Amino acid sequence: MVSSFCWGCLTRLRPTPRAVLPPTVAAPRAAAFHTSTVRYALPTKKKNSLDGPPKYRQAKSARMKKKKPVERARPPPVGERKALRKRIVLSNPNALEVEGMQDFTSETMVDARLRGSILGLPVPMLTQLRAVEAFKPKQGWSIFRRPGTVVRRETLELGRLIDSISNEGQDKGRSVKKIVTGVRGSGKTVHLLQAMAMAFTKQWVVFTVPEPQDLVIAHTGYAPLSDETPNLYVQNEATATLLSRTVVANEQVLKTLHVSREHAALKSSVKAGMTLEELAKLGIQDPAIAWTVFQALWAELTATSAASGFDKNFKPRPPMLVTVDGLAHWMKNSEYRSVEFEPIHAHDLVFVRHFLGLLKPGTGKPALPNGGLLLYSTSASNNPTIYSFEVALKQIAARQAGLNASAPEFPQADPYSGADKRVIDAFDSSKPTVAKEGMLELQTLGGLTRDEARGFMEYFARSGLLREKINDEWVGEKWSLAGGGVIGELEKLGRRLRVTD
Amino acid sequence: MALQSPNCIVHAMQSVRRTVQLRSFLHTPKISLRSNVPPILSQQRKNARGYATEVQAAPEIEFEKFYTQPARIVPASPAYFSGSPKFIDHLLNLETILAKWASLPTVAPSEAPRMAWFKLAQFRDFVGEPVPTKKYKNLIKILQRLNRIDPKIMPIEVRDTLKTFLRPGNPYGNKPAPATVDEMGRARGRGKRKTSSAVVHLVEGEGDVMVNGKTLVEAFPRLHDRESATWPLRCTSRLDKYNVWATARGGGVTGQAEAITLALARALLVHEPGLKPVLRKAGVITVDARRVERKKPGHVKARKMPTWVKR
Repeated sequence: MVSSFCWGCLTRLRPTPRAVLPPTVAAPRAAAFHTSTVRYALPTKKKNSLDGPPKYRQAKSARMKKKKPVERARPPPVGERKALRKRIVLSNPNALEVEGMQDFTSETMVDARLRGSILGLPVPMLTQLRAVEAFKPKQGWSIFRRPGTVVRRETLELGRLIDSISNEGQDKGRSVKKIVTGVRGSGKTVHLLQAMAMAFTKQWVVFTVPEPQDLVIAHTGYAPLSDETPNLYVQNEATATLLSRTVVANEQVLKTLHVSREHAALKSSVKAGMTLEELAKLGIQDPAIAWTVFQALWAELTATSAASGFDKNFKPRPPMLVTVDGLAHWMKNSEYRSVEFEPIHAHDLVFVRHFLGLLKPGTGKPALPNGGLLLYSTSASNNPTIYSFEVALKQIAARQAGLNASAPEFPQADPYSGADKRVIDAFDSSKPTVAKEGMLELQTLGGLTRDEARGFMEYFARSGLLREKINDEWVGEKWSLAGGGVIGELEKLGRRLRVTD
Repeated sequence: MALQSPNCIVHAMQSVRRTVQLRSFLHTPKISLRSNVPPILSQQRKNARGYATEVQAAPEIEFEKFYTQPARIVPASPAYFSGSPKFIDHLLNLETILAKWASLPTVAPSEAPRMAWFKLAQFRDFVGEPVPTKKYKNLIKILQRLNRIDPKIMPIEVRDTLKTFLRPGNPYGNKPAPATVDEMGRARGRGKRKTSSAVVHLVEGEGDVMVNGKTLVEAFPRLHDRESATWPLRCTSRLDKYNVWATARGGGVTGQAEAITLALARALLVHEPGLKPVLRKAGVITVDARRVERKKPGHVKARKMPTWVKR
């Protein structure tokens, strides 16, 4: 069968020109059964090297990426950190109440049977002690239910001394001067605290300088005292703080005492019949006259009798306790500068000069005429090394041992070491001429005895801090590890909570 | 080739040695044998001289005398062909002795007398054979087992056998004189640790510790150091019975504390030698001989190498 298809017609059909057809080479071939459209692959990117194409019109040096400032939480307000650092916590409700713990009273502070036990500080007295800044932040008060201190040998001696000064007897009105030294952690500051607690029980007036360093590091304002004495400088704010410490702590006593003489510098503000508390508050309200007020207050407290015309309600003044904690800072140049930009020696600050002058034997009458106690302690941790001060302390010890200052074995400063003469002179107190005045003594605090250490460790155990069987052997071991019963080290050993199964 | 491998030389030497031994063995019964035996040795010599040219037949075997004079040479030791016959002889001998006396009571190893056995090299010289280390160790084990037999009832045979394995001289014989407390009641001890060295004077007392003239707290602010320095007294609960006067020099705080530990333990042993087991258990007798490793050239530190850089 022949098809009706005409081959002649077909041959006449010309093939379409090639240019019109889509380029067959470029067109990707897809299998015939595919229905989806063919897509080209993405053109391959040029491999660019690390540096990229050569840059001609740009800086070629390496560019540091700028760090974006990191968003930080806002710092706490000014003073908050310091307040947290200086916060004093005196009680811990988690600690166990120690049964049968006695308080500081006039009876217990002289009771030798209580040696080695812990005496609590009476709760009403805590505000007073806080006011005079008797507590330091890192003393570990916050691990016990209530603050308490060990009765050690020195404490009992101190108790007897304070008792004899305040009670009627031959020692009444004596004034005793002591410098307390000892190794780090030997309880010097707590010794001062105990003295303050005893003084408060005996209704003494307490003056304290808890941080002598603060007076010489140029953190408070200073000014020349007067035109006559351009070399002396007064620190009014610091004095006002001292007055406020004293007023808050000794309010009860100062309220009962009245002005007994005329004060020329404060003629306008001081009236007759004013209490000493009101007098001191003048200085707190107006720091510009703080130093004058302090001098007036001091004159009032050291008065033995009233001036004529003022003896209407004159009461005999109580004994005084003066404590300074960390004496060495006062023995060198301060950070203050004079007008000529010379460093000012700490002894040129009237505040410092006043308290150091008390160490000297008084002329005519003792430095503390109504009796009292000067307790100046050194510090072993925050302690500038001052050669002349070390020599001065050695000289005090030698003098106490009965050595004459002209004796060959009397410790002298090395003439080539450039010792500070003023420092040595400040402690160079000859024999006091007044009967009631004691010589300057050096008291070195050592470690506790084993019995005292045992009492101390038992206190830890009874507070629930220590889970050990406290026996003599255990205490003896800790006593040796604490370098012979250094109380600060004992405390560290006691508070290390060790859970033994 | 033969020269290159030392074993060949050794073997050659040994074969020479063996023949010498054989000869001696053969020479010893010579007196009794001379009459009836035509000496084999001379034959051998003859053979050795001219074995290539003339071959002689072996003499006839005389069966009457076979047991007294065997036909071929029998080595003295049954281990002759083992390569180390003397060693094996010793070993077998010891094993026999041990089997014989195994039932005797023994003492604890620590109480057995201390013996200076041959060192491996010395033993090799002694037997003249290459003794492997491990086999020698086994031999030493047998020796030690034999040495543990109760000294009171140790047989003479065992004692004499053990004596042959001892080093000449008496290395453990000269012991230093035990230290004593001096006329002031002080015991002295020295100790070292890291680069520190310490001298401790120990007297009976109440538990005061002074280090370099300072109290313990001033010398060692860290509690751990204080504890480690007084550890010998602490672990024997004698902290409150002695006073310590220590001098420590060199090194750092920890090194000084641990040097004092060692010195204190030694001083305490002078006062109370019976405490040694307790102190050893507390770890204060053992000397820590570690020192800082030296830095080497090409290294950043003792072992650290510099980081690898491409170029």
